[in-house]
Amino acid sequence: MSSTAPALSGPAPELIYKRRIRPIQMARELWHARPLISALTEREFRARYKQTKMGYAWAFFTPLIMMVVLAVFFGRAANVQAGGFPYAVFLYVGMLPWTFFQNSLNKGGVSIISNMSLVNKVYCPREVFPLSAIAGAVIDLGIAATILVGLFAGYRVMPEAESVWVPVLMLIQVAFTIGVTVLLSALVVYLRDLRQVLPMILQFAIFAVPVMVGLDDLVAKSWQPVASALNPMAPVIDGYRRTILFGEPPRLGLLAIASVSSLVYLIGGYLVFKKLETGFADVA
Amino acid sequence: MPKGSIEATHVWKRFRADPVQARLRAQIGALGQRLKGERRRGWRWALQDVDFHVNPGESVGLVGINGSGKSTLLKILTQVMYPYAGRVDVRGRIGALIEVRAGIHPELTGRENIHLYGTLLGLARKDVASRFDEIVEFAQLSDAVDRQVKFYSSGMQMRLGFGVAAFLQPDVLLVDEVLAVGDTSFQQRCIDRMRDVLAEGTTLVFVSHDLAAVEGVCERAVWLHGGLTREDGPAREVLNSYRQALEQVAELELTDGPVRPVKASVSGVDGQVPRSQEPCEIELVLQSDMARSAGVCIGVSEGTPSPIFLLRRDVPMPAEGLVEVRCHIDRLPLPRGRYFLWAGVFRGTNNIMAWHPVAHFDVTGMDLDAGPPGLVRQSPVHVAASWEIAEV
Repeated sequence: MSSTAPALSGPAPELIYKRRIRPIQMARELWHARPLISALTEREFRARYKQTKMGYAWAFFTPLIMMVVLAVFFGRAANVQAGGFPYAVFLYVGMLPWTFFQNSLNKGGVSIISNMSLVNKVYCPREVFPLSAIAGAVIDLGIAATILVGLFAGYRVMPEAESVWVPVLMLIQVAFTIGVTVLLSALVVYLRDLRQVLPMILQFAIFAVPVMVGLDDLVAKSWQPVASALNPMAPVIDGYRRTILFGEPPRLGLLAIASVSSLVYLIGGYLVFKKLETGFADVA
Repeated sequence: MPKGSIEATHVWKRFRADPVQARLRAQIGALGQRLKGERRRGWRWALQDVDFHVNPGESVGLVGINGSGKSTLLKILTQVMYPYAGRVDVRGRIGALIEVRAGIHPELTGRENIHLYGTLLGLARKDVASRFDEIVEFAQLSDAVDRQVKFYSSGMQMRLGFGVAAFLQPDVLLVDEVLAVGDTSFQQRCIDRMRDVLAEGTTLVFVSHDLAAVEGVCERAVWLHGGLTREDGPAREVLNSYRQALEQVAELELTDGPVRPVKASVSGVDGQVPRSQEPCEIELVLQSDMARSAGVCIGVSEGTPSPIFLLRRDVPMPAEGLVEVRCHIDRLPLPRGRYFLWAGVFRGTNNIMAWHPVAHFDVTGMDLDAGPPGLVRQSPVHVAASWEIAEV
């Protein structure tokens, strides 16, 4: 009894399985998976700090150390137009949303392959893995935001009234973050090289967003619309700084471009993910 | 379609044929071929046109040799994998235990894992909480429930996994070869639990190489071979033909060594088919290359290498030639069925002829009495007995 059997000619063409994307069903399924997302987020967060001596305090110290290092080096080296604010405050208002994006992508990008033991054994909507990585980054963001409060109190800075724009900016940022994270998490499954490259790219990408310097110091005015379309994070970070620190409204033209672009990233990334997820368990 | 039913029709699944070697040179070679427009490496079929229908509450065993497509079929049923072609419809909540550590996260404690796994099955937190104690008790983990799972023994991990999957009331329970890790008493409890789950109306699909366990739990069996359904029917019949196919393969693999079997047979009175509780004779002719004394072992089994009974006798081997060994049994203690004759020749602990099946034979006569429900394995030994029953 050999393990090979006489090969049949193949399935009838009309039987071949086709991936259909039904947005309503997809959304309903995801809605029911909320407890799963929160359970996975909690799991990720607990597991990360288990067996560490300092435990959850790391979520606080990591961004603090990063901020201090950057502030010391760039505050001295580059002559930055900080709009009259202490450089640490200027820097951290940009660093906070960027770190959130970076964390989401770092953890979310590998979320499918690092959860392969679940992916190829238990059914659930696959996007819960990147989404719970993003949710984990939200928790980190919350902890890291206490540093911002401390900086504001220490330097006697008050957020301006234009901060009402912040939820809009956040919405654009979250849409973009989900789109890119979900897309990458699916691509990494098939092209594992990305796993090696991704952290490196994210390290250097900080030079492509107005974190250490303002937007005008980073990109020439005429190129700003193109930059906003490719990288919606640029006008969003600029927007946070203008509204919270400078008390000016965000640049609405750039923001409009960024919102359209984020939506394209979100829908495109999600569709690619849904197409690719049918093969996840095959290449595990 | 009611909850708990499985409808899979014309299921095909293929995987990439053997991947290119991970070596850089091989990779570059493959890249070069692809650039020249040569055909990409092909596919191999894991499942070909498999139909699998299960009614609610039914219990089906899935058997087949390694690589026959059992696990692939289970993964497609759980929607973990997608078929290449065909329709798959499983109604209701699926509890799947595809592997020992399915869904278990090593960094978390047993308690956290139970809750997480429950959420994965789509249960509310309070439903998990209400069954929590039962799971812990079943898995015998009351001392270890707050310990990280990576410090569990593999048996503990398996008990946790099985306990969670079996106690969270799925409509369909899929169990893939998991019993191997547990100790014997736990295996029996798993099988009891599967029968309880069946009694509650859950559909069960059970993959195992432990054919006795399959027979103890399942009414129906499906035999997959090379990705095709070879047989589908009552468990007893399917398992019997599967066992025989396994044996017939093994019989062909005759050893070449210093001692080889030339002929082996089992016969009853006057050379007829052996009957239960009647005399029978085993005949074994061996070819030997070297003079020495060696122990000849003869065993009768249902298929597996572990025999129902074993006979051993020291036999002087000729320097060059044949030796005929005959063994007479006064009353053959076997019920009706098909059996296999295994033989081996040993000197001390040395193998002169490896333990392997040499022949198969049928026994006619009595059936065994029916056992109590839930008993996994009844040894096929027919014991002559007489009864006296009186009211006292």
